Amino acid sequence: MKTKKQKIANGILVAVMLVLSLFFLFPVIWMIANSFKPDAAITADMNSVSAFIPPAPGKGFFDNYKEILFNTRFLRFMANTLFYAAIMIVAGVIVNGLAGYALAKIKFPFRERWLAIIMMLMIIPTETIITINFMFVSKMGLLNTVFGYVLPMIVNPFNIFLFRQVFVSLPDDVWEAAQLDHCNPVKYFFTMVLPMSKTVVATVSVFTFLNVWNDYLWPSLVFTSSDLLTAQIGLNSITSNDNTTMGQTLAVITLITIPVIIIYALFSKQIVEGVVSTGSKEG
Amino acid sequence: MSFIEMKNICKKYAGADKNSVTDFSLSVEEGEFIAFVGPSGCGKSTTLRMIAGFEEITSGDFYIDGKRMNAVLPRDRGISMVFQNYALYPHMTVEKNISYGLKNMKVPAAEIKKKVDWAIDILGLSEYRYRKPKNLSGGQRQRVALGRAIVKDQKLFLMDEPLSNLDAKLRVSMRSEISKLHRQLGSTTIYVTHDQVEAMTMADRIVIMKDGVIQQVGKPMDLYEHPANKFVAGFIGSPQMNFYEVKVAGNTMTFSDGSKMQLPESVVTSLNGRQGTLVLGIRGEDIKLDPQNLDLYKDNIMSATVDSVEVMGNENNLYFNFGGTASVARVSKYEISKPGDTIDFAFVPSRMHFFDTQTEESLF
Amino acid sequence: MKKKSNSILGMAFFGPALVLMTVFLFIPMILTLIYSFTDYFALNPKLTHFVGLENFSTIFKDDLFTTAFGNTVKFVLIIVPLQTLGALGLALLINKVTVCKKYFKVAFFIPVVMSLAVVSNLWMQIYSPEGILNTILSHFGIDAQPFIYGANQALPSIALMSVWQGVGYQMIIFLGGLQAINPALYEAAEMDHASGWSKFKNITLPELKPLCVFVFITVTIGAFRMIVQPMVMTGGGPSHSTYTIVYDIYETGTVNWEIGLASAMAIVFTVFVVILTMIQTFLTKDKEEKHENKKAKNR
Repeated sequence: MKTKKQKIANGILVAVMLVLSLFFLFPVIWMIANSFKPDAAITADMNSVSAFIPPAPGKGFFDNYKEILFNTRFLRFMANTLFYAAIMIVAGVIVNGLAGYALAKIKFPFRERWLAIIMMLMIIPTETIITINFMFVSKMGLLNTVFGYVLPMIVNPFNIFLFRQVFVSLPDDVWEAAQLDHCNPVKYFFTMVLPMSKTVVATVSVFTFLNVWNDYLWPSLVFTSSDLLTAQIGLNSITSNDNTTMGQTLAVITLITIPVIIIYALFSKQIVEGVVSTGSKEG
Repeated sequence: MSFIEMKNICKKYAGADKNSVTDFSLSVEEGEFIAFVGPSGCGKSTTLRMIAGFEEITSGDFYIDGKRMNAVLPRDRGISMVFQNYALYPHMTVEKNISYGLKNMKVPAAEIKKKVDWAIDILGLSEYRYRKPKNLSGGQRQRVALGRAIVKDQKLFLMDEPLSNLDAKLRVSMRSEISKLHRQLGSTTIYVTHDQVEAMTMADRIVIMKDGVIQQVGKPMDLYEHPANKFVAGFIGSPQMNFYEVKVAGNTMTFSDGSKMQLPESVVTSLNGRQGTLVLGIRGEDIKLDPQNLDLYKDNIMSATVDSVEVMGNENNLYFNFGGTASVARVSKYEISKPGDTIDFAFVPSRMHFFDTQTEESLF
Repeated sequence: MKKKSNSILGMAFFGPALVLMTVFLFIPMILTLIYSFTDYFALNPKLTHFVGLENFSTIFKDDLFTTAFGNTVKFVLIIVPLQTLGALGLALLINKVTVCKKYFKVAFFIPVVMSLAVVSNLWMQIYSPEGILNTILSHFGIDAQPFIYGANQALPSIALMSVWQGVGYQMIIFLGGLQAINPALYEAAEMDHASGWSKFKNITLPELKPLCVFVFITVTIGAFRMIVQPMVMTGGGPSHSTYTIVYDIYETGTVNWEIGLASAMAIVFTVFVVILTMIQTFLTKDKEEKHENKKAKNR
């Protein structure tokens, strides 16, 4: 069907896109390739294409990674972050999910007004209250505790809204049928609503994970004890150490990115859906 | 007191200026199959949902088995329900869908298995036992919904337009299946539908509603033969009953196009002295074209030109204009005509219905 | 009976979120407002006085805040057009492309999932005086640039990095919008012998308009909120050339403990963001109304 002209246009388009995408990815490629090299090799390769090519696997291939994993506390920081993320996902899905369900399906007083307030909260930049929350948490004696980090972050107006939008379209007759099957509202929420809304639960979970994993400002305030640091904050303490080589820096930021890339590979559908839904939230 | 007793039940939604259901009173005997029928928005579903407990009863009293149910939670009313869109639990298999209620009611596992096996067997779902609803056809989903309702041994079955999402052919077979199930189980059933054919074919008694008010309650044939008003007459039966505005003076009935018909003495007697403008109703099958009937009513033969013909095979619908109104006659395959043909026909006098022009109530 | 049980149930479901919201959102917001009229100093709260609007006049007279404000505006002016148009362009190209679609989507989205701290650390290496970027530039005969170490180049360097990281997010939003356009519109235009450009101008752009406004505003707000990148890469320098409003709020509040002053800054900033969002709501109102009508019809 396609004419020759169209084919050529297509070829040019693909070529342009390929160049663009390489240009886009070069920092990432460079990061990964050089994370396997000693600093001398990084500097030596800088002037040629081999700057973007990892060295041949051999002796010393994983030296930078070994150094980071075994001679710093980075593994501990990663484990900490995973732990916080797990708590935050469970607590966040329950708290925001319940609230979203109430706003979607339960006719309680001032429901519409609460919904309007939630939508307004989505606008407020949280950076502005971080100072006060920091004061709060320190006055409650929760600095350097899991609670101090997690509690202020559990409620997320955007997630409440996302849940609400999905729950609103759940059919009412399923709840009616469940009532006749002697199911109570709490049981219904956990055994019916959440399983029926797997996509949004996955979306919220994935975004919560990414938020916790990538968060910088709040954990940098709450955690000062090196036992509790998250990966991002730990990263800073490692890279700002003068003894850390360039290769090790690249290794540590590659390491910290691996879980995110895995999550993205596994849940790209949910992530894309979540991103697109931010665009359509106004409608 | 009957098994189900509803007295002057009204429903008014908050903020609405009119009742959705007004003065609904009905007694249902144990084991009866009752159909609520009417056009959409007539209040039939609202009434069913009040029975189920999903809508509050604004005023009036509702009893099941002598117990007042107005304030009882849906699950404690002893009912099970089949929903229009099936309302299956999408993430559960057929088996889990059916057993879910029993599990919540803390029925012993062995008994659950027995009941679920029985329901799956009776509904022919054995092959689909471990499938999820999204992998089932509409008819199979319908069966699962039925299964979920029957395993619970409830006293009262409610069905809300259960067949409206099925295609025509499946609807007919499910109709007879539900009837069969009802005969087997003998449970009291209230069935809501907008389809008068479903109501006629399945119900012991039909409740016809319009604008939230009961129009008539009765056995299917009673409604067909003796509609209480013009609405019921028009709603029941297909094709619709023909209606004509006529003037009755003595024995003579004049149609608006000037056609005249002589009424036999029996009809005049039944009219009990009513004269003047009335609405005449006659069903398509009571307009006769065959020689025998034409001979029988030879003094009152009318004629008209056929506008169109609906061929069904065993019988056919002829559309023509008569008495100032589009009319339809249902005739056998021997009286078929072509559009443009002139036909002679007669009304069977004993099958005529008369309604008041103002109140639309039946006059006899 | 039913109403009462509904309010109990509603509050039981909404309650946990409400409690947390009250403690960590509402009260802090109210306190921020109250503190903004005081000279609250966290290390010596007993000496707090009501000072009226003094904080607000102070911050606008304060050189550091005005510098931060100016820097933030510069960030916005560089980031917003590049990121919005870049995202739209990429989305249109990817929508057009027939092969490797998935690869392109992933390639442009990967920086989005990387963290601010990682990206900042990575680009510190890339921007370093003997780094890969300067090496590449030297091949084109361009002298070594200071990038984040130069007062004139630090801000644009961070801004460009920020666009690099963020553009994939908005690209996905635009792709979602493009896919939501009814293909029948294009088919109809095809029947009317419309050219590619006319199809773009008369179908694609109008259909994407609400999304464009949304993206424009969210990118703007995002740029206004800039803090982590300069914090990690330059510490706000050199000579405060990358110091931003939020950075100033953060430092004033959590480093200098001048909560009163930080609160006033936060209020000014919030008002700014809210106004921007209101403009967006106003500009996209048409679409919402249409949507409401559609919903009403469906009922």
